[in-house]
Amino acid sequence: GDNHATAKTSNDLIAYKNVNDLPPPRELMIQVDQKNEAILLPVYGTMVPFHVATVRTVSSQQDTNRNCYIRIIFNVPGTPFSPHDTSSLKFQGSIYLKEVSFRSKDPRHISEVVQQIKTLRRQVAARESERAERAT
Amino acid sequence: MTDGHLFNNISLGGRGGTNPGQLKVHSGGILWKKQGGGKAVEVDKADIVGVTWMKVPRTNQLGVRIKDGLNYKFTGFRDQDVTSLTIFFQNSCGITPEEKQLSVSGRNWGEVDLNGNMLTFMVGSKQAFEVSLADVSQTQLQGKNDVILEFHVDDTTGANEKDSLMEISFHIPNSNTQFVGDENRP
Repeated sequence: GDNHATAKTSNDLIAYKNVNDLPPPRELMIQVDQKNEAILLPVYGTMVPFHVATVRTVSSQQDTNRNCYIRIIFNVPGTPFSPHDTSSLKFQGSIYLKEVSFRSKDPRHISEVVQQIKTLRRQVAARESERAERAT
Repeated sequence: MTDGHLFNNISLGGRGGTNPGQLKVHSGGILWKKQGGGKAVEVDKADIVGVTWMKVPRTNQLGVRIKDGLNYKFTGFRDQDVTSLTIFFQNSCGITPEEKQLSVSGRNWGEVDLNGNMLTFMVGSKQAFEVSLADVSQTQLQGKNDVILEFHVDDTTGANEKDSLMEISFHIPNSNTQFVGDENRP
């Protein structure tokens, strides 16, 4: 039934199964792994993966000192159209990472990352809604 | 293990990214030196209160927690180093390293653990990431459910990384009972 299909959607969104599936460590900077639909964020010297489906919005801005900033807002329960409604019920009581912001030395890299995340997010969202539709 | 065992290509991780260096283990404790000189970390074995191992992509990470709450993270150990160092910590310090697991599922929901001055975000009992509250310059409560942590910024921020974490926020739903009425919440 469709109960099964909705449960499957949230379970499926797993970036990596094993630690060694992560891309080889490179420079400490935000990376997008298209194949695994993940973004990797440098936090205290470690690359931390997030599935792109957890991302709600991504934006960048530049200040007068030519510093560049990127802000990633994640899905949390209680926001409209959140695709995690099934999982937030299942994981009630959890704490959510809501937002991260980074300063970058490389504005070109940041605008690339923003574009890549937006494109990947659209692709995954389209596929998931198609899958949900087919299941009903 | 004989006195003065050396491990090359061990990086020290922290707020500003990672620094490559060399770790020396000796009867008195451990000593890490940055490649090319400069920063060094010396830990007397009597000050070590906890040791952890975690498998990270393609290598192993050693966590050393000391009395004052600091937690050093050294990355770059081979599997055989893990075995020999585990024996060292057991024999010289009387401490059995704990094994931690890294969360790679990519979820953004889990639990927040506070230990010393470390804040750990756990996903399904595995560690997603860890930050030091010593580096937090300001915390803010936004609305009823969101906590924002802002990190210190200075000239050395991002010395060894291209992108540096500036701010992080957590959403704590009303259904969460862990931090209800806890004034020590970050």
